[in-house]
Amino acid sequence: MSLYRIRGKGRVDHARSITFSFDGHRYTGFEGDTVASALLAHGVHLMGRSFKYHRPRGPMTAGSDEPNALVGTRRGEGRFEPNTRATVQEIYEGLTTTSQNRWPMLSLDIGTINDRLSPLLAAGFYYKTFMWPKSFWDRVYEPMIRAAAGLGISPNEEDADRYATRYLHCDILVVGAGPAGLAAALTAARSGAETVLVDEQSDIGGTLLTEDAIEIDGAPSWNWLKAVRAKLDMLENVRVMTRTTAIGYYHQNMVGLCEKVTDHLTSPPEHAPRERLWRVRAGRVVLTQGAIEKPLVFDGNDRPGVMLAGAAQTYLNRYGVRVGDHAVIATSHDSAWYAAFDLADAGIRIGAIVDTRTDVDRTLMRQAREREIDCLMSHTVTGTTGRRRVKSVRVNPVAGDTIGRPTRLFCDTLLMCGGWTPSLHLFSHTQGSLEWDAEAQVFLPGKKSEACHIAGAGRGLWGIANAFTDGAKAGAAAAKAEGVKVQPRGFMCRKDRPGGGVPHKELPTDRNPGKARAFIDFQNDVTAKDIRLAVREGMRSIEHVKRYTTTGMATDQGKMANMNSLMIASDAVGKEAPEVGLTTFRPPYTPTTFGAFAGYQNGVHFEVTRKTPIDDWAEKQGAVFELVSNWRRAWYFPQAGEDRHRAVARECKAVRHSVGIFDASTLGKIEVVGPDALTFLNRVYTNALDTLAVGRCRYGLLLGEDGFIRDDGIVSRIGPDAYNVTTTTGGAASVLNMMEDYLQTEWPDLNVWLTSTSEQWATIALNGPNVRKLLAPLIDDADVSNKAFPHMSVADCKIAGIPARLCRVSFTGELGYEVNVPARYGRELWEILWQKGQQYGICPYGTETMHVLRGEKGYIIVGQDTDGTITPGDAGMEWAIGTKKTDFIGKRSLSRPDIVASGRKQLVGLLTDDPRLVLEEGAQIVADPGQSIPMEMIGHVTSAYWSETLGRSIALAVVQGGHDRMGETLHIPMPGSTMSVRVSDTTFFDPNGNRLKV
Amino acid sequence: MEKSLQTGLVGPVSLAIEADQGRFNLRVARGNRSTVSETIGFDLPVDIGAKAQNVRLDALCLGPDEWVLHCDDGDRHVVVADFAKLYDQAPHSLVDISDRERSILVMGEGASTLVSTGCPIDLRDMPVGSGKRTIFDCAQVVLHRDGKEHFRMEVARSFAEHVWSLLNIANAELATGL
Repeated sequence: MSLYRIRGKGRVDHARSITFSFDGHRYTGFEGDTVASALLAHGVHLMGRSFKYHRPRGPMTAGSDEPNALVGTRRGEGRFEPNTRATVQEIYEGLTTTSQNRWPMLSLDIGTINDRLSPLLAAGFYYKTFMWPKSFWDRVYEPMIRAAAGLGISPNEEDADRYATRYLHCDILVVGAGPAGLAAALTAARSGAETVLVDEQSDIGGTLLTEDAIEIDGAPSWNWLKAVRAKLDMLENVRVMTRTTAIGYYHQNMVGLCEKVTDHLTSPPEHAPRERLWRVRAGRVVLTQGAIEKPLVFDGNDRPGVMLAGAAQTYLNRYGVRVGDHAVIATSHDSAWYAAFDLADAGIRIGAIVDTRTDVDRTLMRQAREREIDCLMSHTVTGTTGRRRVKSVRVNPVAGDTIGRPTRLFCDTLLMCGGWTPSLHLFSHTQGSLEWDAEAQVFLPGKKSEACHIAGAGRGLWGIANAFTDGAKAGAAAAKAEGVKVQPRGFMCRKDRPGGGVPHKELPTDRNPGKARAFIDFQNDVTAKDIRLAVREGMRSIEHVKRYTTTGMATDQGKMANMNSLMIASDAVGKEAPEVGLTTFRPPYTPTTFGAFAGYQNGVHFEVTRKTPIDDWAEKQGAVFELVSNWRRAWYFPQAGEDRHRAVARECKAVRHSVGIFDASTLGKIEVVGPDALTFLNRVYTNALDTLAVGRCRYGLLLGEDGFIRDDGIVSRIGPDAYNVTTTTGGAASVLNMMEDYLQTEWPDLNVWLTSTSEQWATIALNGPNVRKLLAPLIDDADVSNKAFPHMSVADCKIAGIPARLCRVSFTGELGYEVNVPARYGRELWEILWQKGQQYGICPYGTETMHVLRGEKGYIIVGQDTDGTITPGDAGMEWAIGTKKTDFIGKRSLSRPDIVASGRKQLVGLLTDDPRLVLEEGAQIVADPGQSIPMEMIGHVTSAYWSETLGRSIALAVVQGGHDRMGETLHIPMPGSTMSVRVSDTTFFDPNGNRLKV
Repeated sequence: MEKSLQTGLVGPVSLAIEADQGRFNLRVARGNRSTVSETIGFDLPVDIGAKAQNVRLDALCLGPDEWVLHCDDGDRHVVVADFAKLYDQAPHSLVDISDRERSILVMGEGASTLVSTGCPIDLRDMPVGSGKRTIFDCAQVVLHRDGKEHFRMEVARSFAEHVWSLLNIANAELATGL
């Protein structure tokens, strides 16, 4: 039995012993323990070092608001987490934990020097101290500060855990399973409403887990809890979720929950996620999150052994752990008196109850006397001693403004309570307004912006009976709002411990307050004097004070700190608290892992990788892939020993000399059908489509309203009222959206419909002089001779018995066909063509070869040779504009002065003087390389390739006034050398297009 | 099953890729609905999400003028021929999308939980016998509810592997009971 554990006491399972380690030492605890409770059972208070001053720290709380006891946890390779709250992490067999922010060890830490230098390190010190010499900032000061800052060690291994997500819809979501939450859920459940009750702790009960003496409905609270849990678990319409934190409250009653699924298990099952993020959409939300205990602010209020009174009570009653042998209580609230009584009853010597108030309820005094506890009323705390554990506390009587002589009380534990702050975090996420209760000096929920109810201590009520009654009312109100009337369930509470208290700024002291280390924000090491300094330096709003001092900016978001810093700031400013303001709470309520947010979306599931029906084949052939929007496409097919350059050269040659086969399935395809299909397409594309006969295809150019090129493709007329248009791979979705947008908003009168067929078809492009020889024997039901089926024709036919839509189009300049077959047949047809093509040396080629071949022909790629500012005129594509057309998208813009002005960047070809040099895409072009830097740049290279066909390099570029510069020499300055190029036409190969027409 | 769809994961919900079937996207003005109904032999459903069928064809209303039709794979030509006769009277767009999507069956106790790992809609509001265009993870799907715990997810072909894989991962997760 560990020294500070009380045999048989608490909710931990004394029969199940668990071994874990902290900083290399093995400790035992019981099932149900947290790391903090198990360490405290061994008398270990020192669990960490503070962020800035490296002061020794122990747990301040017993819950998720913990600022001090942050540890690293490890469960083997890839499973390390820094900054885990020791007060939350449950122990399991083999858990490894380490302290943080110390070197070389927790008990002896070099960083303690910061504490001695603290006068130099006050709030905003880095704005002032490191101003000189200026050059030192970048090289010395900032790196040093950055190295010293930060909590814990960032994991550097890939996370081995899985994370999950789930959506959930319910009628009523109750956040917090304390008395108010249980009452709300039990009442709501009666109505038949689907109710979800969540709590961040390992069990329901909230404060009842600490208050074991209270009786509810005639039963001791823990018996009652057990029965209620059993009942809730049985109800079909109730889901109880423990270890689940409501981290954020979003629009329209969407609440994000983070469920810790396996962090408490010794051996999690293989496929179980570590955490699961729930997105809950609730009809009504009931917030019953309770209140958070505040510390008192006095010199030395951060030493190990100084703790919130409520936390000590929790360690005692819930975990059966005495937090010390000799305790002193310092308080301004009745609740700490009860903590003192519980501790005294468990055999802990209570040195005194030091209360700042002149007077408390007589029954409290009586109960203290019965336990022979000294009560020092009207007293202040002015200091503590002890380095790694508190040893004594200095207290003084206060009479008005006069502070009397100090007394020193010896203790190993100092329990403090400065009152309770209603937990407004989630309510604050909704941008609901807060109202200042001047009497209680707290902010309470005001006007709501979401369909929610707030009950219990979360709206400033105190006492368990009150919480039950209020929660039941909120549950009934929520049910009523969901359409079912139900009476609030009644609860009989006995032995409740109601009470109240007063809030404080920092406690008065007889010493120099400027030297007091009176902490407000323990995690960010912000003291009362930092707040006063900030106000002296001109900060007036709490938002400024926060940013200047970093109070409330740590991972606990100032759960314990915010009200204390506000009280002090408002005192320093000389205004009421609401005029100084309260900072906004933002999600997440408690620190949440990135893994939980990522969910399933990691590794290969980070983003979808779209694959064509022929992808498998390419993979088997050893294709190298590239990503084009979400698609992965074969880039090139290297043979043994080939690099990209050689592979592409070989592929290009094969297409120009015999036949190449290319997977073009990713092209966007849209079926445009209806009596007004032609009218619609004429308005959408620049080209004249009136004369397009059934069975024929035409190039289509798509502009935006601004007259700039957006996309291009082939328009095929497949029936009197039916067209198929293709889009670029990346433009498939946006073009369909653009067309739908026009159809639905501009031209709803048109009788035409659009259907995406991109994935209906597998598209195989065959190019090269031998293509017809390969294809014709496979087709019985169509004549594909040049005469019957000229360039830009389309027909439905059967190829090797497979139903196909055959288009004679070419993006290479060679005789070309695109065979479209229903996707299920894609792979089959590809294999047939592959086999039958062997006699012609058929060669699969990838996107790189496709790019080179089209480059040789000067065919543009939208998005590569255009950049959103290129008009058809700029691209030399006036031929694609139906000049007689009355209108098309972008037509009007084509006559704007800027568009018709000279000197626009125009698409041209570039031939390097040294034919072996391949330019770099994106390289800038200048007219005179002799200019001084910065030179005037007149354009840039958009495409550049080695052309195996031409035995030299080629490039496309946009150049100011390029069309008038034919034959001119321009220059491309690159690191180390400047290349000279000659401006040429964009068509480098077969300028008359004879090869298309064979 | 294709290699890319083998995950080696098992769980309580039965997952399968449905065999090929005939699938059409039908677009027609609401005013011509009765003409279409006469031809197909049953009333095209009016409410979005509603379904109607006879022995040969079923129709799910996806939008004000949009339906998705299903038939046996072998009956596709009959459907095409029937609608072709109708075009002059009731102009419409009937596009074969049989191969555009793959259909994933999600069946058995836990199926709705599995669907809600990636689909944000409130399945409580989705009656048996209805369908809906929605999303699963990043993929657009048409979700059919054929039974309380029996769903069909029609997902664009190139997204199917992604969705299938996620469903299998989540199914294995369900098997742990956590």
